[in-house]
Amino acid sequence: MERRQKNQQQQNPRRNPLSSSSSSSSSHSSNRKSRYRPPNRASGDARARHREDSGLDSGDATTWDEPRSLARSIDERASAAGTRSSMGIREQQEQHQHHQDGENARDSREFASAVGTCPYMCPGMGEMAQRERLRDLAVFERLHGNPAKTSPELAVKKFCRTISTRHVQLSDIRPLSVLGSTLDYLMNLMNSTPEPFETVHDFIFDRTRSIRQDLSMQDILDKRAIHMYEKMVNFHVISHHKLRLSSSGPNSFNISSLHHLNMEQLAKVLTSLYNLYDLNRDHNSMHKNEPEYRSLYVLLCLNSESLPEGERLSLWFRRVPTPVIKSKEMTFARRILRYFRTDNYKCFFSTIAAEASYLQYCALEPYIDKVRALAVLLINNGGYKLHPYPIAHLSNLLMMEESEVESFCIACGLETSLDEQGNKVLPTKQPAFNHPKAGHGKYGFSGFENICRTL
Amino acid sequence: MAYLSMGEAHRRITDYLGRFSDAVSSQDVASLKHLLSLSSNSPSLLSLADALNLFQDANRLIKQSDKYSQFAEIVVPLFRCLQNYKLNNLVDAYHAYEKAANAFIQEFRNWDSAWALEALYVIAYEIRVLAERADRELSANGKSPEKLKAAGSYLMKVFGVLAGKGPKRVGALYVTCQLFKIYFKLGTVHLCRSVIRSIETARIFDFEEFPQRDKVTYMYYTGRLEVYNENFTAADQKLSYALAHCNPRSEENIRMILKYLIPVKLSIGILPQDWLLEKYNLVEYRNIVQALKRGDLQLLRSALEEHEDRFLRSGVYLVLEKLELQVYQRLLKKIYIIQKQKDPSKAHQMKLEVIIKALKWLEIDMDLDEVECIVAILIHKNLVKGYFAHKSKVVVLSKQDPFPKLTGKPVNA
Repeated sequence: MERRQKNQQQQNPRRNPLSSSSSSSSSHSSNRKSRYRPPNRASGDARARHREDSGLDSGDATTWDEPRSLARSIDERASAAGTRSSMGIREQQEQHQHHQDGENARDSREFASAVGTCPYMCPGMGEMAQRERLRDLAVFERLHGNPAKTSPELAVKKFCRTISTRHVQLSDIRPLSVLGSTLDYLMNLMNSTPEPFETVHDFIFDRTRSIRQDLSMQDILDKRAIHMYEKMVNFHVISHHKLRLSSSGPNSFNISSLHHLNMEQLAKVLTSLYNLYDLNRDHNSMHKNEPEYRSLYVLLCLNSESLPEGERLSLWFRRVPTPVIKSKEMTFARRILRYFRTDNYKCFFSTIAAEASYLQYCALEPYIDKVRALAVLLINNGGYKLHPYPIAHLSNLLMMEESEVESFCIACGLETSLDEQGNKVLPTKQPAFNHPKAGHGKYGFSGFENICRTL
Repeated sequence: MAYLSMGEAHRRITDYLGRFSDAVSSQDVASLKHLLSLSSNSPSLLSLADALNLFQDANRLIKQSDKYSQFAEIVVPLFRCLQNYKLNNLVDAYHAYEKAANAFIQEFRNWDSAWALEALYVIAYEIRVLAERADRELSANGKSPEKLKAAGSYLMKVFGVLAGKGPKRVGALYVTCQLFKIYFKLGTVHLCRSVIRSIETARIFDFEEFPQRDKVTYMYYTGRLEVYNENFTAADQKLSYALAHCNPRSEENIRMILKYLIPVKLSIGILPQDWLLEKYNLVEYRNIVQALKRGDLQLLRSALEEHEDRFLRSGVYLVLEKLELQVYQRLLKKIYIIQKQKDPSKAHQMKLEVIIKALKWLEIDMDLDEVECIVAILIHKNLVKGYFAHKSKVVVLSKQDPFPKLTGKPVNA
């Protein structure tokens, strides 16, 4: 992009190499306050390079631990989003969207290091008044239920896709402190409202997008941004779980598209969060919550085969920092991945029950019924015909209530029966197994209350 | 540094300009490519750079003569690149080289025959290597490394120029391989898809026409992609092709190919011999092979842990992890063989307790449920033929071929 190159020239004018006292190593340091200068890095290396291409390269990913000081430019973040980590869903489209979220990358340079001045959750002058007039108020924003009246305590700035930063005033942008309290307000709303979850989800989905927009326009890329992005990931992961619960009945088609959009957005927010972790890394350290939030990616993508080619987990792991790999949370995720990939239903469930955090559980929840179906398939397939499998035992293995096990088996096209003592059993070697249709039923998880205690 | 006079500097510059224009006019690609090969650090290029830094007005020399000025668009930025390169301003060097390279491509387009292809190869290589160094410089200064990405865009343009019906098209594979290297380094591996599609489906390309060296490199990278996607049959095909056609004297390249081929072969039940691992320094696989031979689950786990970082960075860790099912199969087979020696008539019945004991002996603790689960998995994947009786906690093996071999096919899903 021309702007970027021009900027570089401004900061690094072509100097007459023989003039005054400038030596080669100072040519870049004069107007840059780099926090860290590794020894001998900038002096380049004088080893003779291979004259010819050696043909192949070793294939190992470059080490990740090149320290970087805080980045200031949005361009960097935009390109970093493309190169640093790739994410499941249509990466290029997402990168384009990321550009849009961060607004027109070139124009927003004007806002670099600018601080917004809007003191309310929603800019008072323009947006609030306009939306009152147009009766464009969400149910949570209505004062006493009045669709044409709101207040500064209730109105929250909407996400605007086509905003041109040329027309945006600083008074329309919320500073960090206001963004923080806006986010807290929204998170509280999620837990306290009587409205159906889809409605809350929709509202928070949009309003948090606007928060990210304000954050990026002000170039906030430090630990405070990390803190906020983590909360937004929480929202999307919990929605991932709660939207499944509400997906039944006449609304179910709408919910499943909400679920899909939520997953897309979750992917974007996670990618941005990982970029923030990378930007803020000091030497070999990692952010306090980084292991858990990295582990979520693995758990969301257990079925790596469903990801587009070139984005499989094998590639993703190449670029994960070593301290994160060795962390408790990532070790858990990798073990779950191993159990999933080897069809080890016994360890899959027992490990989740014993070690999963609430967020981790929510992330991997869609796979739970898949593994259950697999377990039933394997047992039906390999079990001795004269030894029907006790449902009680199955319920322990699969972490399900006995009654739910029964209906699950039936959903798999299998019949249950009773043994001589009157216990429920699953006869094996039944010929007609099928995988239950998606969204067929909501089954619980026996260890769920325990897991919720980690919240 | 030896004293350099203005006169000498002038001579070196005009000398280069002369060689450049002669090379082009006589279509002498061997000479031309040396004039473009920056990273070779050849003494003549380095001394030219000194001359340029002293003389400071090479542009005037270039414009003075018609013979040289026709190449001004290429040579002027090339000189600037040399100057910056000598002074270790790699970012500026990259920019200048890219400019020269763009101008070169314009000329290249106009030349009818493919005489300058090798010079183009040099440029493609230099662009990538310079971009990598420029990015290192950017990172070191706390800035975003974006030159390698730009190099990728440039090479895509070059690919487009070569993807035509004429003789220049055999150069497309070399450029593709440079692109692969860039994408792999950047982690944007999904971008390989579109070039692969062009190479493999466009009618203008005939894979056999490409130079051998490029075909090997191409199969190496596409083979690696198949490994990441766990298409083992395709991975085996491609990596084996690369191995078979690789220069037998370039041990380093053979080693790179084997590094990915071995996990693939292991997954389809083919074990490498120890001398191979020794010869090509791939000893990290030694214990894994042993574990498969002995049915030693603990050894597999410790081998994975010992080289965890290396396997993760090369991207084969997940493939190796899955070998545990074959290790379990081997373990059960050994128990079966021992039982057969003691009492052939009862050998086909294996108590789950016995398996637990065997695992304990390997220092692995497993309960009945887990062992039963493993057995169910092995049966499902056709690694064991038989069934398990839940109440009597026993595996009953088929009397015929209870442990089918993989015979070159991956463990079925």
